[in-house]
Amino acid sequence: MILGIDVGGTHTDAVLLNKDGLLASAKVITDHQDLLSSVRAALAEVVRGYDTAKVKRFNLSTTLCTNAIVQGDLEEVGVLVSAGPGIDPGLFGIGTCYAVIPGGLDHRGTEIKPLDLDQARSKIVEFKERGVRIFSVIGKFSPRNPKHENQLAELLENTCDFLTLGHTLSGQLNFPRRVATSYYNSAIWPIFNDFANSVADSLNDFGLQPPHVNILKADGGTMTFAQARQTPVESIFSGPSASVMGIMAICPIESDAVLLDMGGTTTDVAVFADGDPLIEAESVELAHRPTLVRAMKTKSIPLGGDSAVYASQGTVSVGPRRMGPCMAQGGDVPTLVDALNCAKQYFYGQTQASDRGMQILGQELGWSPDQVSWEVIHEFCRVLKQETLDMLNEINERPVYTVHEFLEYRQIVPQRIYLMGGPAQVMAPFISQAFGLPVVVPDNYAVANALGAALARPTMQAELFADTEKRIMTIPVLGVSERVGNRYSLDQARTDVVNHLCAYLTNHLDWKVPQFEVEIVEESAMNMVKDVYQVGQDIRVKCQIRPGISPDYQNAVRCLCKEQ
Amino acid sequence: MQRAVNSLGVVFFPAFDWAISATHPERQERLLYTMDQLKEEGVFDIPGIREYKPDVADMDDIRRVHFCFPDTASNLTNSHLISAGGTIKSGQLVMEQEEDKAFALVRPPGHHAMKVVHGGRGFCNVNMEAVMVENLRQHYGLGRVAIVDTDCHHGDGTQDIYWHDPETLYISIHQDGRTLFPGSGFPGELGGPKALGKTVNIPLPPTTSDEGVLYAIENAVLPILEDFKPELVINSAGQDNHFSDPLTNMNVSAQGYARLNELLNPNIAVLEGGYSIQGALPYVNLGIVLAMAGLDYTCVREPDYDPEAIRQERRITEYIKKISQAALDGYFSPPTAHMSREKQGDFFIRSKEVFYDTSFITERQREYLLDCPHCPGLLRAETSSSKTKNCLGLEIPRLGCEHCQAEGERIFEQEKSRGKFTNIQFINRVDGTCRRHVIGP
Repeated sequence: MILGIDVGGTHTDAVLLNKDGLLASAKVITDHQDLLSSVRAALAEVVRGYDTAKVKRFNLSTTLCTNAIVQGDLEEVGVLVSAGPGIDPGLFGIGTCYAVIPGGLDHRGTEIKPLDLDQARSKIVEFKERGVRIFSVIGKFSPRNPKHENQLAELLENTCDFLTLGHTLSGQLNFPRRVATSYYNSAIWPIFNDFANSVADSLNDFGLQPPHVNILKADGGTMTFAQARQTPVESIFSGPSASVMGIMAICPIESDAVLLDMGGTTTDVAVFADGDPLIEAESVELAHRPTLVRAMKTKSIPLGGDSAVYASQGTVSVGPRRMGPCMAQGGDVPTLVDALNCAKQYFYGQTQASDRGMQILGQELGWSPDQVSWEVIHEFCRVLKQETLDMLNEINERPVYTVHEFLEYRQIVPQRIYLMGGPAQVMAPFISQAFGLPVVVPDNYAVANALGAALARPTMQAELFADTEKRIMTIPVLGVSERVGNRYSLDQARTDVVNHLCAYLTNHLDWKVPQFEVEIVEESAMNMVKDVYQVGQDIRVKCQIRPGISPDYQNAVRCLCKEQ
Repeated sequence: MQRAVNSLGVVFFPAFDWAISATHPERQERLLYTMDQLKEEGVFDIPGIREYKPDVADMDDIRRVHFCFPDTASNLTNSHLISAGGTIKSGQLVMEQEEDKAFALVRPPGHHAMKVVHGGRGFCNVNMEAVMVENLRQHYGLGRVAIVDTDCHHGDGTQDIYWHDPETLYISIHQDGRTLFPGSGFPGELGGPKALGKTVNIPLPPTTSDEGVLYAIENAVLPILEDFKPELVINSAGQDNHFSDPLTNMNVSAQGYARLNELLNPNIAVLEGGYSIQGALPYVNLGIVLAMAGLDYTCVREPDYDPEAIRQERRITEYIKKISQAALDGYFSPPTAHMSREKQGDFFIRSKEVFYDTSFITERQREYLLDCPHCPGLLRAETSSSKTKNCLGLEIPRLGCEHCQAEGERIFEQEKSRGKFTNIQFINRVDGTCRRHVIGP
């Protein structure tokens, strides 16, 4: 059996399932002051009557770290950076204990100025005197050569509670993002670590001892609790990824498609290319600081069931303000739900109140309540469509770097819309009409997020970088650094990165992944020339394991997902 | 986090799968470290700086500018069309006011591509700046343009294309042609009879440093620009004046390039040459991006930057003062005595021999410009190369008068029936058409 819990903004959902289907589900209100109590309440309800010893896997998606960052509930971090030539590293300062240590590497990872260890030592002493117990160390171009980060780590060894080394988080080049990501990773560690301990205790209390305990990441994959204690920052923004994985668990998605998850205040849009969810190319922002955390490409449109509708310039407008609840639930301002009620499409709450709201709005415009209701519904769909198309345009405009990519680059053209959330069933025909596309409303969508959390499998990305002139090969996120011969080739690099990734997953995640699951997403081998002689090759390979549903559970909750 | 003072669009197309040959300076690796540096600096995360995908240029964009023989397509690769398309995109960003400024960080380059094209020369096949400018003129009615070419090599292609265009000011600052390819760009090259003074050449002696280049910008280029009052200033931004460039002998640094762009304040910059791909390009490109965006660039220094080692000698400073004055004189009061000597009947005549060093082709060309009292005049270029013989290019200029239009049509018909030229390209910029007539197989 698998147990999945999604701690969402409004509800905490839990599901219990086996290979044959959903066994039980539970929904409780999320208590933002005490997330653990919400987890415990959902746990208690969902496992009632089942043999908890049979639960082999527990997967959790939580807003804990996101909330901690949004609310600024962070511990002070000592941030030490080494930079080298370029933009003034002082501009990337974060937190109150930020120090630039003289020293630097160039773009090939060559040391152009040794790290000033004395200054590093004195900064560490200074920060510790100010009560700092957790640190982050970040070097410019550290994915090319982690030397300065390792030197700083050595100075801190065994004298701090937690330490983040920038190059271990991502092989992607982006120093300011590496600084911010490393800072947040350390800053949320205390809160995450305590939470992880409490969750482990709670599982025990309910007689649960699953061998696999995982947490959902923003890219739709999972990581073990042990891993998450090292990289808690990866657990941010797992909400949208839970819903994307949920729809993938329920519906067999094969084409380009769009997922619309309609909530009260917003509708979240996600995009699929050939059935695979799109990952944000440049990763997400935290408190206005871009980071290196890979996340699902999603867009939150300020348009939902509780968005206020009003008259403006002789016609109706919808959103972006939320004035809910709807009048049918005792609110003061009419919303989309009231329009649906009045148009006799929905029968939710006090429908007379909805009619009254539409009548008042109609009087303002000189229209009948029926007419105004339909205008609201169509305006809602129109704006939703426009915002979705804007997002697709932006995706299709993404930069390319080779002639081949430029000529072959495939545009994403959705063939189908998957619709989830409160009024999904009712809105399906109107959305279908507005987009001119078939719409699918999956069964079980009420607990889709928890299903997504439960059935997601690990994801991983690794970048290999080899410089045959320097005879080095590194895979920063896996901590691999090896000497290679001067004839090391792209073929060998491809084999190496796949083997190292699979070995890492087997050793650290106890997950034996077949090599064909590892996909090469980018590769290049360029001759390095000095004067007119080739002196080596610059080889780069990036591979990943895509987000997906656990193979054993492919058919557990899958439905027909018929078009409407 | 800093925010760009001027919004800047960067059209970045490093063409990681295109090279002239495996170890040629113009090879795949050229912008690799620049890309690494820009990404590592997080440049595209700075609010106000945005990266754009290039467009692909149309064949019409090329035909509007060049006489290509034997035809347009065989002189191009897809890479050229994307590089040209990226340059056009940067122009559109500015014309559409989507961005204050734009930088086309694209390759292959183009400033050695002349009006007539038989093949590649100086690593260039089509002229990126001209293709962009003429596209913008066609679609946005753009008028006066200044192209300031700061590549270390004289931009003889751009100079040739705009030789007769009084609406386009071409200024080139480069290493003296007596010491470097292509061996041209002397102060006496001032433009054709209908555009005299609208070509300005400022050849600098080898070992010129930041100081000398910036002196010429401040004391020659800026006063000329102020007088010309262009609607658009384009920096043809080669980066091979750098002290570490393997092909040249100058001593300019990333700081110098950044300051140059701050002073020049171009609307658009287009990458040209620059082959110190590890020691210069990552820093120079970063410096240009920051300067164009109006951001601080003082920390952008090459690891081996030593201002003392590249300090300019005093005699060079003195020489540059003189050459800058000569540039001002050439622009403000160009000599006209030579003009009558170059004239036969109603036509001004220019003869030249061109060597296409990249494609190994030689060309002989005779160019005739109709001395028209109403417009810049009908252009006729008779050209034969070791690859394609007996070709003719005819062009009615953008501001062509009715008489020149009629005359162009007449000559085109006449030459078609006469059969002396086996390959004729007829560009009519007034009605925006381009026709080609080929005889034989």
